[in-house]
Amino acid sequence: MNDLTLLREAGPEAPPLSPAARSAARAALLAEIEGPAPRRRPRRRLVVRTGVAAVAVAAAWTAAVVIAAPEGPGTPATSVTLVDFEMPTFPLSLAPEPVGMRPAFTGDGESAGFAEYDSADGADRFTVGVHEDEPDWLEDGYASADVTDRREIVVDGVAADLVRGTRNVYCEDGLTVCAREGFAEILWERRHDQWVLLSGEGRYGRPPELVAVAESLVDRPQRATLAAELAPAGWSVQFYKMGRVLTLVNDSYEQQTITVHVPLPEDVPPLEQVRESLMGPVGPQLDVTVQGRPAALVRVDNGPRDRGWFLQAQFQDGTTFTLQVPDAFTQEQVLEFAEQVTYHP
Amino acid sequence: MHRSAGPPAEPPRLRALPDALPGDAELIARSVDDPAEFAPLFDRHAATVHRYLGRRVGELADDLLSETFLVAFRRRAAYRPEHVEVRPWLLGIATNVVHGHRRTEQRRYRALARVAAEPERHGEDPGDAADRLDAQALRGPLAAALAGLKPRDRDALLLLAWGQLGYEEIAAVLDVPVGTVRSRLHRARRQTRAALGDVSPFAPTSEEEDR
Repeated sequence: MNDLTLLREAGPEAPPLSPAARSAARAALLAEIEGPAPRRRPRRRLVVRTGVAAVAVAAAWTAAVVIAAPEGPGTPATSVTLVDFEMPTFPLSLAPEPVGMRPAFTGDGESAGFAEYDSADGADRFTVGVHEDEPDWLEDGYASADVTDRREIVVDGVAADLVRGTRNVYCEDGLTVCAREGFAEILWERRHDQWVLLSGEGRYGRPPELVAVAESLVDRPQRATLAAELAPAGWSVQFYKMGRVLTLVNDSYEQQTITVHVPLPEDVPPLEQVRESLMGPVGPQLDVTVQGRPAALVRVDNGPRDRGWFLQAQFQDGTTFTLQVPDAFTQEQVLEFAEQVTYHP
Repeated sequence: MHRSAGPPAEPPRLRALPDALPGDAELIARSVDDPAEFAPLFDRHAATVHRYLGRRVGELADDLLSETFLVAFRRRAAYRPEHVEVRPWLLGIATNVVHGHRRTEQRRYRALARVAAEPERHGEDPGDAADRLDAQALRGPLAAALAGLKPRDRDALLLLAWGQLGYEEIAAVLDVPVGTVRSRLHRARRQTRAALGDVSPFAPTSEEEDR
């Protein structure tokens, strides 16, 4: 036996391709082939720099939010112990901060992720991405863009690559092309093993504006917009997205997750109707208090892989958030966890 | 972009298909003008792509399968049959798609390493008993070794082992010179063997012969 044979025979096995998954993937491809239907423009773009990246973000969110994985190594936790938890931070800040723009962070537990700054009307925006290795997907993205300018520039005395052009803007589904838009991108190795990709649209699609942003970056970590200050022991951040979604995962059983979500206001049901808005509610809706405000707690049961708690509560500023936690939590632990969720938009 | 200049060392291998059916490359060429021509490629390759993805990311493969074919469809005009066949091309796209889920992949390997000691079931035809015992004993260390590889090295190794791509195909789909593929594979295989340590069943062999 050699190592390749070993990898084939003793390496991780693939789960079977179910007819449902195959049909869904085929249907998605056929929909793409038939052409996108007109969709609304996104309120906040996920990622526009490449179709690949946009799809990847969307798929990651979908995969994490849908609790559907029937197989996986390990066994789910049947109880948890809550411990202090430290969220990853984004390593860079802007000095000075751009007027009227606040960052939303997206990332996972290991990488630095990226920070997106939008103007109030969404017309001007830039994204700061931090990578340990030189991003190797950019050329793929440029292949589907109309690149009009490529040249080397200097950022804070360091050589950087500037690319300008136009490219697709993807809708909220991450798949459908909503429009084409001008962009500029600057990539440079800001320090050893810290590659920064700065991507701008609108007024930040102009090189002087984007270079000014690049040269205002400073080493000052920023906390995630949506954070948990408690977590079960042995769990970690799976990803956080745009300040609206935070998912923690059981490192010993990746199908077991906790999701914190800040829904858009129009998606928030009245508190007294929370139970009716859920699939698989069990028992009555419990009136509880979280962060000093009324909240609703409901047990849900949608099969062995989707049993747990759903909580709808509010931060002290009145912003609604929801929790989906597995039934390994006790009712008291759900509330204890919820008390320590923070939000700093 | 493809940085390994010049024609491939060997002409693309032709897939044996009934005369009435167009080849993969022909379907892609036709699909540039008639997108519907792309659909049969899903039927031909979905299982292969899913299996490759599934070994790397588990259940997430269901989502990434869809993503892989959507990316392939959008990039079909850039496909160059003289560089690589369609199956390796798709596996290369799948590999890039996995990059967005490195943490899931690593977590899966680490979890598999932890549970490797659990008893496992075998089918009716388990094959060579000695090899099977070796494989079972090494399942955990092997998963741990995969978790410890650099992502680019792991890509090359798994395209070779699971995708069954040749060195030049790997170079083409990863868009690196074939010499880089050799060095990545050498490093990955050396690290894998080292991680298995004293329990390694390997006889010293040429890596080129192992393909």
